[in-house]
Amino acid sequence: MQQQIKDNHTISGYFVFFTIGVAQAAANIFNLQIVIIREAGQDSWISIILMGLSLHVIIWMIYKMLGNPSKDVITLHNKLFGKYIGSIISLPLVGYYFLMSLYYFRAYIEIVLAWVFPTTRTWAIAAVLICILYYVVSGGFRVIAGFSFMYMFLAPLLLLFYFPMREGELYNLLPMLNHSLMELLKGSKASGFIFFGIEGLLLYFPFLKDSGKHAKWAHFALLYTTLKYAFLMIVTLMYFSQGLLKHSLWPTLAMTKIIELSFIARFEYFYIFLWLLVIVPTVCISIWCCTRILKRVSGLKPGAALPVMLAALFIAVLFFNERTQISALESFINDLGFYFIFAYIPVLFMINLIAVKIKKDLPSGKSS
Amino acid sequence: MLTNLLEQIGVSAKSNDFQQITITIKEARIHFSYYKTLINQEQFHHDILSFMQISNCEVHALHELESMIPIEGIKMSSQLDDILLGLTRGAIFVQMDPQLHEGLLIEIPNPKLGRRDYNDTQNEFSVVGPKIGFVENLDTNLTLLRKGLSTEKLKFEELTIGSMSKTRVVIASIEGLTNPQHVNTARQRLLDLDFDVVFETSLLEQLITDNSNSPFPVFLSSERLDRIMYSLLNGEMAIICDGSSSIITGPTSLFSFIISPEDYYLPWIMGSFFRLIRYFGVAFSIFATSFYVAILTFHYTVIPRDLLGPIIESRSNVPFPPLLEVLFLEITIELLREAGSRLPTKVSQTLGIVGGIILGQAAVAAGLTSNILLIIVSLSALASFTTPIFKISNTIRFLRFPLIILASIWGGLGIMIGLILILGHLLRLKSLGTPYIVPLFPFRINSFSDSIIRSNYTMLYNRFFTTRPLSKQRFTVRSNNRDVGDDYNNE
Repeated sequence: MQQQIKDNHTISGYFVFFTIGVAQAAANIFNLQIVIIREAGQDSWISIILMGLSLHVIIWMIYKMLGNPSKDVITLHNKLFGKYIGSIISLPLVGYYFLMSLYYFRAYIEIVLAWVFPTTRTWAIAAVLICILYYVVSGGFRVIAGFSFMYMFLAPLLLLFYFPMREGELYNLLPMLNHSLMELLKGSKASGFIFFGIEGLLLYFPFLKDSGKHAKWAHFALLYTTLKYAFLMIVTLMYFSQGLLKHSLWPTLAMTKIIELSFIARFEYFYIFLWLLVIVPTVCISIWCCTRILKRVSGLKPGAALPVMLAALFIAVLFFNERTQISALESFINDLGFYFIFAYIPVLFMINLIAVKIKKDLPSGKSS
Repeated sequence: MLTNLLEQIGVSAKSNDFQQITITIKEARIHFSYYKTLINQEQFHHDILSFMQISNCEVHALHELESMIPIEGIKMSSQLDDILLGLTRGAIFVQMDPQLHEGLLIEIPNPKLGRRDYNDTQNEFSVVGPKIGFVENLDTNLTLLRKGLSTEKLKFEELTIGSMSKTRVVIASIEGLTNPQHVNTARQRLLDLDFDVVFETSLLEQLITDNSNSPFPVFLSSERLDRIMYSLLNGEMAIICDGSSSIITGPTSLFSFIISPEDYYLPWIMGSFFRLIRYFGVAFSIFATSFYVAILTFHYTVIPRDLLGPIIESRSNVPFPPLLEVLFLEITIELLREAGSRLPTKVSQTLGIVGGIILGQAAVAAGLTSNILLIIVSLSALASFTTPIFKISNTIRFLRFPLIILASIWGGLGIMIGLILILGHLLRLKSLGTPYIVPLFPFRINSFSDSIIRSNYTMLYNRFFTTRPLSKQRFTVRSNNRDVGDDYNNE
């Protein structure tokens, strides 16, 4: 059975708002529009809202599964499938979280290389960033949560989208709802990747105090993300014509480019650099989840697992050199994450539900 | 093996200022051992020697002598270590002839010996507010604290630290308010310490710190009485060390280093405003020059078109890349500061004029730096001195150098990497086991009223929660007694 997390390692429940929020913010905020718009056109923002709303159900499932008493997904596996099969099911999760961190990490380096330092080598930036990741993750979950919290200070950056909004045309959003429900749902599926990040909750759940009380913060985080992306989508659709949007690589950055203040031009640099504050905790959460699973399943010490994971991350980053490879990784991750959230979690939830029901019925069956 | 304690002491203490004398009063031979440089000679002659001869009674045993001498703090002792420690602290050791295996230890230290008695604050100034500071004498400092906090709950706990210096170190706390956990941690670390000499609390601070590889101070050290009192009242414990005019308190947070006692003496609007100015100064001081390097080296497109002209114009004569230009000026300023603090006041004033005005202008005229950089560097140097605690301004001035180097390598990304490293370090750092950047993380909105700003006293009824004080409330807000019922003189 899982040992109780020590009190000085746990953090207040409301931090789940930041840990979920920051992870969801990291996923390619700079080019999310072009993926979704392929399916749902000017109604893409409706797709995002649909997706966000459906994810509330997933969060509800996670809380139902893991809460009372709070446990992580590995305990759940062991409980449902027994120790050995449970471990076998738990181990592939390492690969999942590792791929997630690779995805965030490589996508960010890609932006830095393309937009700011075209001449710098990938491995140099990756090496330095990995040193930072090591320093943060080795501080433990509290430090990662603290980093996630800093994400709050980036929220005012959203106000700067006032500038492109001022330039935009509300007319571009019309005609509204001329896409079929199927197209909207396809758009929703395509937008799934911007909501990745709630899966981390499966592992750090027991690190949060008062498991019953912070569900509302998780829902708030999701709501905030949904509204944020819907707003971003609306602004983008107003600013670009759809024809242009299909051919631009990073619409968000292109929009921020026009912001010009009396002392600063070219705002997109600030976006890119400040985004490191989001990328670092997001990748850290995923890497931390990997080490956590390894520790829980095989007893491998995080002190040994972490350097190995980071070295693997470094090598993996070097394999993705070209744009096509990164695109392939992105589409693969989009599918993988989608099925993880919408297939794995509900299936686990159902199995758990049945198991609980059987367990409840069993003693009464015996006594009668 | 010497069984005679008198001889043992004589063998152990061989210094020239060590004396052993014997007097005879009515056939009783009484031996005195003492360091004549340490004891209060006047008191020794007047209260002990003359007193014994005048009283003229017969003494047969030490305990009779003990009740006779009109001085408090006499103890019987037979342990050589104890006696030697007492002697080096300014006590005399009295023995009588037949009982040479034990004796009386009478403490008559000379408090004025080699001590200044000048109570003004030396390094921390405020325009309004009391100017009482601590001095190098432990007892004076304790008196000041005891007098300032007239409560029986104020507790002093004395320890002896340092194998050579045998320094008296006192842990001060307020019972029922300071979380005993902090006091226990501090005491444990002090007791675990093995170090030969303790000059100062700053040294102790480094020895008992949570992370000795950090540029950030994790204990707040101050020489102001009001500041230490405020810290104690907030549930922190204080460490006072003999021979040190500054007292350290902990656990502390990064934000308390930006707080000046003056904030509490000014109206809250002024206090908050000046505090915010200080925060701005800290941020400016850390990042201004690295921004300059990053922007001019890599991201010149960030500069608006109107501003680009003056910058290019002012830099047109400078042959160096921005990094060398900035390092040149920054190091010049550091040199000026370092030289200024080592020189006597009158000379350092001249140095300020020579350095600040002549050197700066000449550097621009010679084409070594640009005008704009000169403004940025001097402003950021100025801003680093706005912090009220010397130690944190050192940290701030230090932090900009790695940032400048990082900015010259990777521009804005480098600054961000530096910032994240600093942030990660701050998140990991602990002061006596409590997080260092409270109330930011863990986030405590209630404590913001006295960290980022200094709000109205009616809002400050709660203590800073982050030190986990045992009693949470400082005072209760009584009814609002400001001209009630006199609205617009319309009664």
